[in-house]
Amino acid sequence: MQDKKVIEVNHLSKKFGETDVLKDINGTVKSGQVICVIGPSGAGKSTFLRCLNLLEKPTSGEVKFDGTDLTHVSSKQLLDLRERMGMVFQSFNLFPNMTVLKNLMLAPIRVKHMSEAEAEKTAIALLDRVGLKEKANAYPSSLSGGQQQRVAIARALAMNPEVMLFDEPTSALDPEMVGEVLEVMQELANEGMTMVVVTHEMGFAKSVADEVWFMADGYILERSSPDDMFEHPKNDRAKDFIGKIIGSV
Amino acid sequence: MKKSFKAIIQAIIVIMALLTVAAWHTSNAAAADTSLQRVKQRGELIVVTSPDYPPYEFMVNENGKSKMVGMDIDVAKKVAKDLHVKLVMKSMNFDSLLVAIQTGKADMAIGGINPTNERRQSVDFSKIYYSGGQSFLINSKDVNKYKSAKNLKGATIGAQTGTLQYGLAKKRIPNSTVKGMDKSTDLVLALKTNKIDALGIEKPTAEAYVKNDPTLKMISSGYNLNKNDVGAAMAFKKGSGSLVNAVNKSVDQIQKKHLTDKYLAAAGKYMKVNTVNTSMFHYWTYFAKGVEYTLLISLVSTFFGVVLGVILALMRFSKQKWVRGLAISYTEFIRGTPLMVQVMFVYFGIGVVINIPALISGMIAVSLNSGAYVAEIIRGGINSVATGQTEAAESLGLTKRDMMQYVVLPQAFRNIWPALGNEFISLIKESSIVSIIGVTDLIYQLNIVRADTYRGVIPIFVAMVLYFIMTFALTRILNHYEGKMKHAG
Ligand SMILES: Nc1ncnc2c1ncn2[C@@H]1O[C@H](COP(=O)(O)OP(=O)(O)OP(=O)(O)O)[C@@H](O)[C@H]1O
Ligand SMILES: [Mg+2]
Repeated sequence: MQDKKVIEVNHLSKKFGETDVLKDINGTVKSGQVICVIGPSGAGKSTFLRCLNLLEKPTSGEVKFDGTDLTHVSSKQLLDLRERMGMVFQSFNLFPNMTVLKNLMLAPIRVKHMSEAEAEKTAIALLDRVGLKEKANAYPSSLSGGQQQRVAIARALAMNPEVMLFDEPTSALDPEMVGEVLEVMQELANEGMTMVVVTHEMGFAKSVADEVWFMADGYILERSSPDDMFEHPKNDRAKDFIGKIIGSV
Repeated sequence: MKKSFKAIIQAIIVIMALLTVAAWHTSNAAAADTSLQRVKQRGELIVVTSPDYPPYEFMVNENGKSKMVGMDIDVAKKVAKDLHVKLVMKSMNFDSLLVAIQTGKADMAIGGINPTNERRQSVDFSKIYYSGGQSFLINSKDVNKYKSAKNLKGATIGAQTGTLQYGLAKKRIPNSTVKGMDKSTDLVLALKTNKIDALGIEKPTAEAYVKNDPTLKMISSGYNLNKNDVGAAMAFKKGSGSLVNAVNKSVDQIQKKHLTDKYLAAAGKYMKVNTVNTSMFHYWTYFAKGVEYTLLISLVSTFFGVVLGVILALMRFSKQKWVRGLAISYTEFIRGTPLMVQVMFVYFGIGVVINIPALISGMIAVSLNSGAYVAEIIRGGINSVATGQTEAAESLGLTKRDMMQYVVLPQAFRNIWPALGNEFISLIKESSIVSIIGVTDLIYQLNIVRADTYRGVIPIFVAMVLYFIMTFALTRILNHYEGKMKHAG
């Protein structure tokens, strides 16, 4: 069971017009694994993550989720597969026109056809889990960044996904709020959630990641355990990059 | 880009072709003459007139109730009675009367219409039931300057657009400048404020004005005219021989018994009723009705305009190229043509295929027009919603439809609420154009009051204040809700 391949990427490439953003990406994420993706700005980390749930359509290559190649399914099938992957964005992207509770209830009701009562029960339980039960009826704009991001995680979890994708979930936050969000993610990892996280939080990567992937120039240049990646990077570009982020702390 | 441009051109050509077919249908509709038979079968004679022309036809305010009276109305009554059918009166701009019968909106038009040769090309006429003669109205202070029509050489002369007086002044008064306006009330006002030197007008109407306004005087036109150019006749759609023959029997009786004298006397009495009390309060029911219709049209049109606007805006985001092309062509076409033409097209043009009452036609035209503008506003609103929102919705597995309905449109509407409010407010003002097809909105009622009271300016002022109250109150209400919506966000 632990060895089940949840995501498999083969020869993935992505062009925006003339620019090759992803050139030849290969990789496998197994059930329960936590993968951290690091790399310089513009390396294509976000693009890679967005290709995993087809928010961005790959130019060529395969993206297999649970054995199905997402690049060759109907849009109806794609919706079915997407609901099994949660995504959390750098800028939270909560729906500002709904209360926190409604943000969590919308997809379960509309996509999973859950009853209103059941959706509300799950939503409240999830908000409790991220420590924001008392904010159920608040609008997103009245929450702090850290609270908004915790709500966004709860919203993705409300669909009961098999994989969670995080794109720099803490980089838009004030430093004092980073901890509360990482804590929620850490718990999630401890519960065995399969996660792909684009992040530069070394502490987080060291404590929960099974593997760290270093991306640059449209390739994954190195994959190592967190300790190896941060202490003894082999690739020159990775050395350079890690030196910079350690230097900046 | 080039391809979609081509698609737009194609769509516009298709629309034009449809319009041409509709127009052709209009001009060829009458094959066999069933005009009399149709009226008899229906049991109703539908007569259209422009009731702002005393003593021919005008509105009278009797015990707070408004009613159409005048010599022509009595003539129409007699005709209907002789045909043993009910009389149904419709009102419209004078300019639109002949179009109304050509497009089958009415069986007959009456309104001091002179059966000139030009007009005979496009409609049939009854025999002449009344010969009034032409005259000029001038300001009393000018009586010495303009002793007779000969002195009008080089003067500025006003006349109702589309009337015989207009053409005559142009042709027969040397070196004159002729100014045309829609309403005789406006022309009288122009005369009194010295914008024109004289006003070419039918003699009975001129007499009515002189009786009610000491600052005006009448001089004879001095035109040597053929009977067709001075007489008034009823107009019918071409090929209505059977109906015309039947109506001519009534005209014969009217002539023989000199009934028009009696009718004119009665009209004179009504005109006195009107001028007994020309205070605007006395006419408040007129204005109230005008406000009611103006608000009704604006409200209904805003509602359907928004519905249509949403549909058109969503079409612009469709995957199908032809759907996008259709929405673009529609928007471009509507925005490229005046609302007035659209109103007339819906009422007279579409009316050939299905008969739609004036009020509904007005609402349809204004809604169709507003939809095109609202579509652009909504499209802007949709584009203003951050892409992160649609990505979040997509990542949750929401369908495009759910995403639009629950996430994008609510936010778009909040962003465009002020723009939509402005659209609604401008509709209150722009919808006044429907008065040309006889919808009793505020502008229409304003003209009735002006015709009835012989007071040119005060009713305009009242209407202006009423429009302002409506738009101002609305702005306040909209601001209130805008504030509330901000609060919720
Ligand atoms: N929709 C797009 N159209 C065109 N170019 C794009 C688009 N999205 C991303 N790019 C380009 O692709 C490259 C990789 O972008 P991406 O956002 O994936 O990088 P990243 O590694 O996530 O960087 P960062 O750390 O700044 O978030 C960049 O050069 C970017 O300008
Ligand atoms: Mg990024």
